[in-house]
Amino acid sequence: MVTQNSIKAYIAQIPPAPKVLKQTLAFINQGELTQAAKCAEADKALHAYLKTLVNKPIYGFKNEVSDLSQIFGILGTSGAQQVLYNYMLSLLSPSQWELFKLDEPLFFDLQAQLNQQWKRILRHLNIDNRDIESAITLLPASIIVCEALFKAHHDEVALLRSVKEIDYNTILYRLSGMNLFDMCRLIAKKWEMPQRIAVIVTLASGDNASDDALLNQLGQWMHLLLFYEFSKGPYIEAGLNDFLEFHIDYVADIYEEFMSVMEVS
Amino acid sequence: MRAVVKNRIGIFHPQGFLDGTNVPMLLSLEDIQATEKLDIDMLLVSLKKVIFFNKNGLDVFVKLLSNIRSKLHIVIGFCDYDTKKYQAISKFYENDLNFSLFRTQNIAMLFAATNRDESKKVLVYNPEASQRSSIAIELFDNGHHPVIAQSHKEFEEKKQYADNFDIIVEETFLGLFGQKIATRVRGNAVIYSVSNYLDAEISDSFNIAYHNNSLNVGFRLFIFDAYKVVSMNIHAFNFFAKLASAAAEYNATLCFVGLTFEKTPESFKNDLEDSGIMFFDKMEEILENKELLEELGGSSAAVTKNKRALNKVLVNELPRFIDATVSTIEMMTNAKASKEGASVQDISVDKSSKHIASSIGFYGDIDGMVALSFPHSIAKKTCELLLGEATDSEEEIIDALAEFVNIIGGRVKSLLLEKNINVNITLPRTYTSIDALLQVVEGKKGVQVDLNFDGENFIFFLTR
Repeated sequence: MVTQNSIKAYIAQIPPAPKVLKQTLAFINQGELTQAAKCAEADKALHAYLKTLVNKPIYGFKNEVSDLSQIFGILGTSGAQQVLYNYMLSLLSPSQWELFKLDEPLFFDLQAQLNQQWKRILRHLNIDNRDIESAITLLPASIIVCEALFKAHHDEVALLRSVKEIDYNTILYRLSGMNLFDMCRLIAKKWEMPQRIAVIVTLASGDNASDDALLNQLGQWMHLLLFYEFSKGPYIEAGLNDFLEFHIDYVADIYEEFMSVMEVS
Repeated sequence: MRAVVKNRIGIFHPQGFLDGTNVPMLLSLEDIQATEKLDIDMLLVSLKKVIFFNKNGLDVFVKLLSNIRSKLHIVIGFCDYDTKKYQAISKFYENDLNFSLFRTQNIAMLFAATNRDESKKVLVYNPEASQRSSIAIELFDNGHHPVIAQSHKEFEEKKQYADNFDIIVEETFLGLFGQKIATRVRGNAVIYSVSNYLDAEISDSFNIAYHNNSLNVGFRLFIFDAYKVVSMNIHAFNFFAKLASAAAEYNATLCFVGLTFEKTPESFKNDLEDSGIMFFDKMEEILENKELLEELGGSSAAVTKNKRALNKVLVNELPRFIDATVSTIEMMTNAKASKEGASVQDISVDKSSKHIASSIGFYGDIDGMVALSFPHSIAKKTCELLLGEATDSEEEIIDALAEFVNIIGGRVKSLLLEKNINVNITLPRTYTSIDALLQVVEGKKGVQVDLNFDGENFIFFLTR
């Protein structure tokens, strides 16, 4: 099954963040959105990604938006950072999914959906922080890592799961001492993402706790949001509903509030 | 989503939010077909990790479970819920609750038709008198000792002394129950609970595959708990006569306990006695009489007459069995297991060694049994992936070992299917000592393969 060596090999092959992206992020961090847009022009794939994203119905624009400075202007500094991290993650995602029944548009939709819902939650919690807003972008890395490590072991895991209720994250931890969220942390480090992002995503696993009450609270909300999204039909069909364990007790005290934010009756 | 099967109970484990739009996505056509092929007594949906559900969502599950019940005649329902969820389900299906509700999986196991649990003292409460009685009757049929609280006040009082009970059954509802004959194992005796009118339907409700396998793995005493039988007709009589002659081949004994002959012809009794079936008035006459128990074969699971020879077909498939074992160990430990040697012989184990063992039977195009005997430490290492946190609990290790041989059984089944050999696998059986294993396999010729894992040897034994 998955070995320490296969984990090391996977981590080693993760590319560092592209130079253009790093520069663009640096401009965004300085609040220089026009400069960031100019810099991003050099990456055609990034341009196409951003154009597709902001023209999704979830952004609600009537006319097509295609100019990069206009796109960055719409997104703002927090939104732009978030979208750039999403783009980095999309570079890591496989061209052909095997373990999960995902494809590029569906994965893209999941990213966009998580971003929007996370913004909604942060607004509700009165939190306005660029890194916290961007933390959600790292979460789908757990899906990409799971796909990469387990795609060759689908039948073995299915056999194991026919006699034992056990999820991929737990299997990985028991085999290697590392779980999918530890792997996300390593990716964040390699991509030089702010440390706070990695901490929040680790807490979103529901397996860990922090001494910091705010980070714990964010971990809870992110954990529940993840399973709220994973309970949607297309993601259930893709096999995302049970690759992680949902810790119902971990989110019990925010459940009612979450349902009210999501306007579920 | 596939059901996880343990002790003949299949359980779906959905997570998150369940509504009418997403539940159909949880169960693909392949999932439904795979579920229909399961050899189980009960099919449940666990609500442990479900934070939100509505009636539309549950309706989809109920429809699927009901379809499967009509085909497999099994118990269906939901389990693993809290009070709030129980009240919500009860309200949703106020006038139409025809499935069962079990507060926990452990409670559900008390009601499973094929029950290998020790007899348990159970405190029972349900506000409805008819439910209280139904629950108590089913528990009793499954060999447990129910204590019914007649009022909520009495229940709360008794609950104060929870240590007096092995388990407390509350917020549990028995809907349309399965039509399978309840089966339990006490020591080395298999007890079937039969009731009402015994007629031609007995051949549908009696799990003959389970019975045959019990004979194969060495059970020699089969008791029909017939206190609640009103009468028996000629079809049922023929069924039992055939069962008796099949049992004779294995030197096994069939007994009826508590059967009265007010409405059943006395001649049936004489004829069944001629077939070798014995009749007793009370269960205690057998179970509490050690000498009689030994004489009838219920004190050990040794197979005395059934020394069936290994055949060429089975030996030809030996590499597949060994592959399945070795690859399962490698899959679960990421360590290599190697073959040290193989020979056809009686099982040879150092009786002084502290081994634990597990076996699984298979039947169909070919039949036999695989037994694995491990040193304690190796069993623990082998099952680490299933055990999770480090544990020294013998019970947990034994439990994981049973899951482990179940996985091997699953692999054997699929490897044999590649060669168009169809087999079904039985429930795994575990042994806490070498002596217990030897009682089953001693004197039987088989192929013993010594395997090495992590520097220590363990034994693979394939026999019939």
